[in-house]
Amino acid sequence: MQLIWEGFVEALRLLLGGDAALYQIALRSLWVSGLALAAAVILGIPTGGAVALTSFPGRRLVVAVINTGMAAPPVVVGLLVALFLTRNGPLGQFRLLYSNWAMVIAQVIIALPIVTGLSLAALQQLDVGLRQQIAALGANRLQAFFYQLREIRVALLAAVMAAFGGVISEVGAVMMVGGNIAGQTQVLTGAIVQETRMGRFANAIALAVILVSLAFTANVVLTAVQQQGRRV
Amino acid sequence: MSGGSPEGDPVLRASGLSVRRGGKTLVTVDRLALYGGQVHVLLGPNGAGKSTLLHALNGLEQADGELVFGGRPVRSGRGRLALRRATAAVFQKPHLLNTTVQANVESGLRLRGLGRAEARSRAAEALDLLGVGHLAARRPVKLSGGEAQRVSIARALAVEPVVLFLDEPLASLDPPTRRALVDDLLRIFRRSAMAVIWVTHDRDEALAVGDVITYLEAGDVVQTGPALEVFTRPATTSFAEFLGLETFLRGQVVSGPGSATRLLLEGGAELFCADAPDGPAVVAVAPEDVVLFTERPDEHAASLRNVLEGTVKAVAPAGRLLRVDVEVGGLELGALVTRAALEDLGLEVGGAVVAAIKASAVHPLSRHESDGGADTRGE
Repeated sequence: MQLIWEGFVEALRLLLGGDAALYQIALRSLWVSGLALAAAVILGIPTGGAVALTSFPGRRLVVAVINTGMAAPPVVVGLLVALFLTRNGPLGQFRLLYSNWAMVIAQVIIALPIVTGLSLAALQQLDVGLRQQIAALGANRLQAFFYQLREIRVALLAAVMAAFGGVISEVGAVMMVGGNIAGQTQVLTGAIVQETRMGRFANAIALAVILVSLAFTANVVLTAVQQQGRRV
Repeated sequence: MSGGSPEGDPVLRASGLSVRRGGKTLVTVDRLALYGGQVHVLLGPNGAGKSTLLHALNGLEQADGELVFGGRPVRSGRGRLALRRATAAVFQKPHLLNTTVQANVESGLRLRGLGRAEARSRAAEALDLLGVGHLAARRPVKLSGGEAQRVSIARALAVEPVVLFLDEPLASLDPPTRRALVDDLLRIFRRSAMAVIWVTHDRDEALAVGDVITYLEAGDVVQTGPALEVFTRPATTSFAEFLGLETFLRGQVVSGPGSATRLLLEGGAELFCADAPDGPAVVAVAPEDVVLFTERPDEHAASLRNVLEGTVKAVAPAGRLLRVDVEVGGLELGALVTRAALEDLGLEVGGAVVAAIKASAVHPLSRHESDGGADTRGE
């Protein structure tokens, strides 16, 4: 009990003292996961829309793949990305393994099915009548798509929150493809693992506090935006 | 209703139009023309294909055959978009977007590329026209069903459509709300040159709003024509039944001297009836056209050419009225009377009664199924 208490006191000191290394790790985490999330949103929402609003042979299979991807274990994603990026792998020439970019790529692959799958589900649940009404209002295909996105904006924000929670807190993929190199590719989750292993509990607790605060703040902001629509 | 006589070329014309889905033909129309300033009702029971036809005419549904809008054939997706942008549609559910009422009404205008300021002022006008200007800042969840449908109609009218498509617009509203909205819509239509196509399964609504009625059944057009004519002269037994006619009598039409056309009934009795070609026929009699007396009516009721003596078989409630079944020489007639009238007449089951029907109310169906089941005569 003493150990935990001392850990918290030391963590607080580190946090308030503005420990540079600590905040560098936090910023890296935000940068990697933020970029991955942005890419997943830009790719995922149109993909979800295309699958939800069109019909083509093999559509069911595509939906099944997306849904499976939503539950893909990060370590498996890490393994796949590592295989592609390793020196002898298909993308080895780009020398991306153990870089921040490798972590971004892995997290895009984790976040993409979540954004795609949840926006697909939300669009599919939209009333067919409303979809017809939007077309009858004179919308072309693109306009109709954006009008429908606006109707499911609450669900889209939930998708973004879920994806952000998924990538900011995952540890398996970033450690495998980033290498958890201190000062270079270490993010919050990897750092917590390392500090705990080395018995530096105060550091680990300080990092954990930052991680939880980040996730919490992001969700508070998104929730505030989401709930705005409910006010009348 | 706005006069109803077609002037010039139709705004929208369909020839040989049919909608197929999954190898099944859902609806077929040989010819249908919509004229500016006219309310054209598509009437029929559920599943008749009315809404599908409306969607095809609106360019929401792909259809085979010819659709001509403003003199130009509508063929491609682009043509259908142009059609939708020149028209507007209101469905049974208001389908309002999750934004303010004002933004909802602006949406059709904004989709057509209008500037914010002009969209705003035209939306405000349309909301005022429907009497819901005070709701502009509200969100749809805070509206009643009637208010929401008014907003939906305002949104449609804001784009000043050439054709307004209404798909059961009153079906989810309660009767008082419905009546108020019908009054407002008719007032708006009277002052407008737009063509209106109104889908309903409600015969009273059809007669209240329609200039022209097209009756559909099982994906086919059964009859089309001026509203009153279609209502008073339904072509088939099933349409007559749909209109609430319950008494059907089979016999031979025989034209007599002057205007006295008679129907010789199979049991040997005869009735004066409305004009029809000689030959086998089925006539329909509306229960509200059968007048009951306790004794034969005197001279002032001379226009009631058919006076039949019979007995009361049954009395049953029919809405706010009572339905009296009368047996006359082997045939059964239904009549509607008020509760007060029943008391005045002192009618009771088994008692004697006199039923009188005008000749013009004995209406031979223009197309009827003979014993073999096929149509025996066209109009």
